[in-house]
Amino acid sequence: MPQSQFVLLFYLFWWGARIRGCFRRWPQPLLRGPEWFFNVRVQPGFYEGPGKKILQRYRMRMFIPFVLDIPIVMSIFIPGYLQYFIWLLLAQASVIHLNHVFSVDIAERQARHLAIPEAEQPVAAIGFSLQPRRLRDYTNPKLEWALALPFVVSFLWLLRYYFAAPEHHNLRHVFGVPVYYIYMELGLLLVKHVIVAWRTPVPQTQAAEHMLAREETRKYYLLMCDLNRAAVAAATLFWPIILSVSPATSLHLRNIWIAIWLAITVVNGVWVEIKRKQLLTMALRALPVKLPDFLQQTEIARWPLCYQPSAPMLVLKGARGYSLNLANTLAQFGAAYLAGWVVLFTFLRMGH
Amino acid sequence: MLLTINTDDPRPIYQQVADGIKELIAGGKLEEGAALPPVRQLAADLGVNLNTIATAYRELQKEGLITVKHGSGSVVASLTSTERNQDELLRPLRTALTQMVLAGLPESKILRLVISELHLVGKGNK
Repeated sequence: MPQSQFVLLFYLFWWGARIRGCFRRWPQPLLRGPEWFFNVRVQPGFYEGPGKKILQRYRMRMFIPFVLDIPIVMSIFIPGYLQYFIWLLLAQASVIHLNHVFSVDIAERQARHLAIPEAEQPVAAIGFSLQPRRLRDYTNPKLEWALALPFVVSFLWLLRYYFAAPEHHNLRHVFGVPVYYIYMELGLLLVKHVIVAWRTPVPQTQAAEHMLAREETRKYYLLMCDLNRAAVAAATLFWPIILSVSPATSLHLRNIWIAIWLAITVVNGVWVEIKRKQLLTMALRALPVKLPDFLQQTEIARWPLCYQPSAPMLVLKGARGYSLNLANTLAQFGAAYLAGWVVLFTFLRMGH
Repeated sequence: MLLTINTDDPRPIYQQVADGIKELIAGGKLEEGAALPPVRQLAADLGVNLNTIATAYRELQKEGLITVKHGSGSVVASLTSTERNQDELLRPLRTALTQMVLAGLPESKILRLVISELHLVGKGNK
């Protein structure tokens, strides 16, 4: 099967996953019952009155990424720039996720005007864990060694390959791909850092249920990061194999490689659905409550970006939705990482 | 292990954090050498200013209950290492007892309350 057909197959699968996502998000506002709209306890008759419009608007916003999709896909598929396909997927995944987060926030803010006033009062007691939460507390050393090994093997193999006949090979071409993968690994580690640091305040009532739901969600996202890291490590090991064989064998191997990943993606998709259902059941056991806002976040974070050195959080819940705190070290690392991508990409492109 | 902050409590947040950790140490729930979360983690979880938690930790350090090591975080210090004289320790007890007497509680009741509180605080140490 030619690669373009594989890419098309991947893209169709991606659409399937996105449509499944829409089905999952469609009933989300009502999961806790008709007296709730997401995490807002609404007045009786909410869904027959103004709530109906809020719900409709939330559902309409789900389709924004699909609309954005059309011109991007046309500019990639029609001229045949299939090498940008992976970037398209990454960008779309980010847009879908951000769109959902902001859409839920907008809908909840609109629904709060029609909430039961007592339910909107913040609880008096807020609990927090005294268990230190560091990246190493969520790291399996054996797994880390297993993930590092493919990189070491790959680099040794490429060094041997390059120095066997340096005059025939382009340095950037040989080492560019693993360097790119290593940078991707670093990015995933940064994401893991953010997930570990994600704040976990819980109300005193149902503290155990809230804590369990948050910890399990954290572990799930960390596992997803590790799965992606494993995929990147496997891809790094595959690169010297591809370089070392003849072009005909290379093409054959690439087809097998893509077919394997297609199968893994399908299995992973099913597993993710099962896991998400388990997490949802856990989350529904913990009734949402409003926690006290000691920092007056709505006052200090008015725009999507803010600089608040005294606030320890990466993201503040401001007056207009979420606000990224640029004074946070993780935000600064994130910005440096993105700048590094541009530098790396430019440097690798210069070799072509 | 959960620590709770109450907005109805008249004590400032840093005091509630410090007192909460002290209670856990006294009750044996936080043993010598146990690591405490970094200031940033606690401050983020509670959604308070970094200085609030730093002040609480400083107070605990001043009282010799925790040791702060740069790079490895804060750990619970050995209880025997706290060098505080008896007078200093008795002062808050005396204040509390005075308030109870002024409130009109009989001596026997005050004694019962003190013993029961002592049992509650030192539960984990037995």
